[in-house]
Amino acid sequence: MENQSWWRRLVTFISNYPLYFIFFFFIIFPFIVPYKALATQIIIWGLFALGFNICLGYTGMLSFGHAAYFGVGAYTTGVVLIRLWTNIWFGLFAALVMGGILALVLGFLCIKRKGIYFAMLTLAFAQLVYFVAFQWVDLTGGDNGLRNIPAVPLNLFGYSINIYSPLNFYFFVLFFVFLSLLAINLILQSPFGHVLQAVRENDQRARSCGYETTNVRWLAFVISGAISGLAGGLYALYLHFVGIETLYYSTSGQIIMMTLLGGMGSFIGPFIGAGVFLYLEDVLGNITQSWMIFLGVIFVLCVLFFPAGIWGTIRDISTREKKELPATSVP
Amino acid sequence: MGEILKTVNLTKNFGGLAAVEKVSFSIQEGDLQSIIGPNGAGKSTFFKLITGEIKASEGQIIFRDQDITALPQTAISHLGIAVSYQITNIFPFLTVFENVRVAAQSRKTTFNLWSKALSHRELVNQSLSILELIGLADLKDETAANLSHGDRKRLEIGIALATKPKLLLLDEPTAGLSPPETRQTIDLIKKISEGLTIILVEHKMKVVMEVSSKVTVLYYGSLLVQGTPEEIRNNEEVKRVYLGGVC
Repeated sequence: MENQSWWRRLVTFISNYPLYFIFFFFIIFPFIVPYKALATQIIIWGLFALGFNICLGYTGMLSFGHAAYFGVGAYTTGVVLIRLWTNIWFGLFAALVMGGILALVLGFLCIKRKGIYFAMLTLAFAQLVYFVAFQWVDLTGGDNGLRNIPAVPLNLFGYSINIYSPLNFYFFVLFFVFLSLLAINLILQSPFGHVLQAVRENDQRARSCGYETTNVRWLAFVISGAISGLAGGLYALYLHFVGIETLYYSTSGQIIMMTLLGGMGSFIGPFIGAGVFLYLEDVLGNITQSWMIFLGVIFVLCVLFFPAGIWGTIRDISTREKKELPATSVP
Repeated sequence: MGEILKTVNLTKNFGGLAAVEKVSFSIQEGDLQSIIGPNGAGKSTFFKLITGEIKASEGQIIFRDQDITALPQTAISHLGIAVSYQITNIFPFLTVFENVRVAAQSRKTTFNLWSKALSHRELVNQSLSILELIGLADLKDETAANLSHGDRKRLEIGIALATKPKLLLLDEPTAGLSPPETRQTIDLIKKISEGLTIILVEHKMKVVMEVSSKVTVLYYGSLLVQGTPEEIRNNEEVKRVYLGGVC
């Protein structure tokens, strides 16, 4: 029992102060995973899932086309570094902006529909973006992907820092993850963030209170697209390469899987989902070529038996006495 | 005190069916009127027309000398018309407090991304006093979905009140309530009717007779008769179509 209450206290602490926990945990994180590049991959995809979660977890929109924003972010950073300006800050900023702009445009076309229609529209437009990139060989390299993204050193206050050792790069990515977390945290606690949740809970009632819920969902979609774009930019820097499959619908499916696996509507969930997914991919991928089958089975079991996701289930079990309903509290 | 709301020949057709047909209705500022009628008489449709949730097929709705017939629902809400729904329509997984607070916030800001929602003290205080008024102050941190039916009905009214309406439409606020809860809600309606215009749709004649100054009877979408509660009670036609055994 003593042990259990210790466990409970930890879960409650993480629920209440997810940011503190993430800050400290991710600083030691690269030292407890098999190799540092895996840690980097996990936090990049975690960031993507976090952006996606603004749509799914906080506003209740299931987008099936988030590969578009992630992929366009990745290509943007790559193209900027190759052709325009070898400045990492600008490359990533451009990814953020392009992700946002694309979400602004595509969002305008999708946002008036809900549920399955919204999902199908986002999927259709994402596939459109995929085929544009596929055909536009001069810019994107088409089927071969965008190669030879230069390993530009980071300029910081006049110092040039090499960020391409695995550990340095991890902390470089972590810096952007922290920034995004702080920004998202601010937004979710703002009046707008509260409206988002009201829209998720009851769109019709929110409208009858006088909120333009379409615009609210649209802005949430743009923020989500921008964060996804940033994650894509980091991914391009990480690989020095952007594959065409980054834009493919399998990427959209993967981010949905990660978010559902971890548990939507919290800060921790997307990171846990990304971590479990990529770790299993890594472990299973070493054993068999058909690792997807095993991952698929695990995913199905999770959805059937732990619909609140890994983090949601942990939280529910630990707070069962308090009779909290799933997905009630902010982060 | 002038007319706050007037409908002129208001009509709504669903296919071939006229849910509301040529209803001309008006209410003075500060008044409390009731609308009664058998099920399917068009009462809820009439409310949805006023709030802009559905658009009229014909006729006009005038709110304070402004034609609002074609205005979108959100614009009508901001002019000061609020509704408390018959089928409870709250934000289920938000707290009771947040249900009211987010409604109150609709008068101030939507796209504020930088300040903290709870730092807007005036909204917090306004919400707390509304919770006090509807008797849910003790349950403010409870998840709204966990409330009893009666508490939800009052929260529903609280959400409507939080948008600071000039005209409040109450759609069967006592439906499914026990006698003591009904009493509580009648008292609440009396309390909020000071300084607020209310249109009440109700089935319980006791409630209607007690609180309203004027009663309108709808029957198959059309206005059957209007009068004081006393007149309605004694009207032969009303007795025939509606009150029958009830009164």
